[in-house]
Amino acid sequence: MEIQIEGLSKHYQSEGKTVKALDQVDLTIPANEIFTLLGPSGCGKTTLLRCIVGLETPDEGEIRIGGEVVWSRAKGIAVPPERRGLGMVFQTYAIWPHMSVFDNVAYPLQIRGEAKSVIRDKVARALKFVQLEGVEKRSATKLSGGQQQRVALARALVAEPKVILFDEPLSNLDAKLREETRKELKTFLGELNITAVYVTHDRVEALALSDSIAVMRAGRIVEIGSPQKIYFNADHRYVADFIGRANLIKARVAGRHGDLTVVESGLGSLHCQARDLPEGSEATLCIRPEFIHVDGVASATPQGGQNVIHGRVASMEFVGEVYEAEIHVGAEKLLARLDPDLPVSTGDMVSIRLAPQHCLLVLA
Amino acid sequence: MNPSRPLFTWSLILIVGFLTLCPVLMLLLGSFSEGLTAFGVFTTSKYVAAYTDPALFDVTYNTVVFVLGSSVLSTLLALVLAYLNTRTDIPFKPVFTVLSIVPMMIPHLLFSVSWALLLNPSNGLLNVFLKDVFALQEAPFNIYSLWGMVMVEGLLNMPIAYLIIAPAMAQFDVALEESSRVFGAGVWRTLMRITLPVLRPAILAAFILGIVRSLASYAVPRVLGMPGEVDVLATYLYEMISTGFAPDYGKAAALGMSVLVASISLIVVYRALTSEGGKFVTISGRGFRPAVIELKRARIPIFIGVGVLCLLMIVLPVAVLLYTSLVPYSMVPSARAFSLMSWKHWIEVFQDPVSLLALKNSLFLAVAGATLGVLLSVFVAYVIVKIRTRASGLLESLSFLSFSFPGIVIGIGFMWFFVQTPLYATLTALLLAYIAAYLPYGIRPLASAFVQVHAHLEESSLVCGASPLTTMRRIIVPLLIPGVVSAWILMATMFIRELTVSVVLSRPGTEVLAVQILSFADDGLWGKLSALGIVMILISTALVLLAMYAGEKFKALQGGS
Repeated sequence: MEIQIEGLSKHYQSEGKTVKALDQVDLTIPANEIFTLLGPSGCGKTTLLRCIVGLETPDEGEIRIGGEVVWSRAKGIAVPPERRGLGMVFQTYAIWPHMSVFDNVAYPLQIRGEAKSVIRDKVARALKFVQLEGVEKRSATKLSGGQQQRVALARALVAEPKVILFDEPLSNLDAKLREETRKELKTFLGELNITAVYVTHDRVEALALSDSIAVMRAGRIVEIGSPQKIYFNADHRYVADFIGRANLIKARVAGRHGDLTVVESGLGSLHCQARDLPEGSEATLCIRPEFIHVDGVASATPQGGQNVIHGRVASMEFVGEVYEAEIHVGAEKLLARLDPDLPVSTGDMVSIRLAPQHCLLVLA
Repeated sequence: MNPSRPLFTWSLILIVGFLTLCPVLMLLLGSFSEGLTAFGVFTTSKYVAAYTDPALFDVTYNTVVFVLGSSVLSTLLALVLAYLNTRTDIPFKPVFTVLSIVPMMIPHLLFSVSWALLLNPSNGLLNVFLKDVFALQEAPFNIYSLWGMVMVEGLLNMPIAYLIIAPAMAQFDVALEESSRVFGAGVWRTLMRITLPVLRPAILAAFILGIVRSLASYAVPRVLGMPGEVDVLATYLYEMISTGFAPDYGKAAALGMSVLVASISLIVVYRALTSEGGKFVTISGRGFRPAVIELKRARIPIFIGVGVLCLLMIVLPVAVLLYTSLVPYSMVPSARAFSLMSWKHWIEVFQDPVSLLALKNSLFLAVAGATLGVLLSVFVAYVIVKIRTRASGLLESLSFLSFSFPGIVIGIGFMWFFVQTPLYATLTALLLAYIAAYLPYGIRPLASAFVQVHAHLEESSLVCGASPLTTMRRIIVPLLIPGVVSAWILMATMFIRELTVSVVLSRPGTEVLAVQILSFADDGLWGKLSALGIVMILISTALVLLAMYAGEKFKALQGGS
């Protein structure tokens, strides 16, 4: 089911100041996609999720789920959470400690008054789906963190909702388990025909899981796109910076060259990704460290329209798979990743190739 | 989900505010009034009279020695016991849990009486025994003295101190000590320079709570101090309002104000310490255990020491009371004493109409008081934990404030109030005063129960399609029941044994158990006293055991998170 949000605002008072948790948010979450709300803590992503599920009441705007209005200030509609028919996995899992695993998962069905035999079948199916069989009788709080997480997922799925919401469901797991669970979750969701709204502040999680990502800041959605679009081709400096490590350099548009934009910057004149920017306008050049190709001391021939610049290696740090090097190009400093085999040491002059499609121009 | 419901919060503030502030305000107004019957006629003469009384100097001196001495004793004992239990390989560790719970079952009044029976100078059992054995002219010990009071009060407050210090010690990050050892400090030096300083907030908190409790203590000074004419503030205040012909409630109120101010300041310090404690807490996450220190050869002697302490705190008081209730008059245990034993005192007590009335009143107050108190506490705890507004903060402060009120001072404050109303000398008056004085004991377990019910547990039920009512029935109430049960039982045990408030407010017809026991003590009817006392202990013990059983039961039900 599609979720449509229009002009949603939510303010609250904190220490005498008005905080805009949501500021005129317009958003359409397409049906049957994994849609991630990504942003730093306090950006309003959890508030938005809680407004969708009905646990928080917005100040202004309208929310429609599958065409049905569930909240609207203007129309005076406010469907309570229990009648929105959604599934949700909480950050704390919210496993009820006084119930067994079975009762936890069966709860949504019991509430709907389904027959005992139906409940038993469906719970068994849900637990099998999350690979958690044979623990029905156990007390849910006796399970490990990862298992509790799956109970929460099974509970959210058991009533076969059309929409499932995740509020940072992996943040309470340790790093290794988080990675495993993330992969499982991706598999689980891939098998279901379901709209999933996923809230996280972890960019790797967002990139790995999502069909679409909406990056939020200060109660507003800055940019929406596929993980690839957000990573390689962001429009906003904030988004490019938030989603991964980036060298951000001031630049000024100098003109066009074929389907590339040419800029002047501290790195010299560079061919960049095409952008519809007027000549002379200010922009920020964004180059990710992994796309800076350092060729060692000798070679310096441009290949296939690539930019070539020269710099001096100021420092090198061994971090395992690569060296991380700071390279000074004029007054600018570039963070680059060097192949350990590359015969380069601190103080050497090197030539650097930059592919135009990875020289990203973003709005300041 | 809920809007802050200001009306609900404010009506609770009104109720709790009345219960908490009414006695304080009445005490303040009373201290400036001519007398109970001339309320509101302004005078400062009561302050002049109270603070120029030459006896006050001795009373203050005694109070300071009593309060500081007993607090030092209880804190030190608790520290040693907590260290032994959490950090060493001493055997039979469950004994320590027993030591920390059992004094809940033995009311302070009876604990004091049993020590009086053992060590009073004229016919204390232990004194007589020692006199016979060593052919002494005089009794070797006199419990009717300042040191006797310090010892008994210190023993009584030890469990509370233990319950504060032991958890802090159990959470102590052993790496702090290990690094000290690495840098060359020995075990002893590490203890002095690292362990104790890091635990300082917990130790100070235990010490200050000890001061507050001993300042409010009435049972110990009344039973052990008055015979030897060692007055502390609590007994001195009581004498002002009780001495037959000219009780002076104004003077008592004037002096009571100082005690109240001292208590409130102390509890504010205590609160600051316990909230600041967060900085020092050094829990380093999952599943670590502090290294166990081997006691080696000292293991058994130290264990015997703990065993003796158990004996002093648990076995001896009950044994002495039981023995005294069975022998016809005070005598050292002997073949003859055992041959003379009978149920005479028990039968007399159960035929004594006043004792029966006291039993009935106390049971009524325990059941009705605990029920009403818990009901109020549920709402207050809900507002404090779940509705976080400025008004709910006010409610929290109000409800915590009364934790510091010495019972006798609250009693005097309420006396000023009830005399102006038809409630004077009724059970309802006692009921109100009990709830006011012991409300924090109901709120605290319930507040922690509410804290455990994370908002997500409630919300996920709503998302699953359950209505708020169903959520209440299936999620919130089941999760709260353990808290409700333990709060109810805690309050009921407090009310069964209540002495300090009752001693001021109880009148003929509204006697309660503790007051009746005290009047037996005044008349020297030790046999009857012991019989009635054991009845009281049995009721308290039954309630505490019930609480533990219920707690285990619910824990099992919930899988013990």
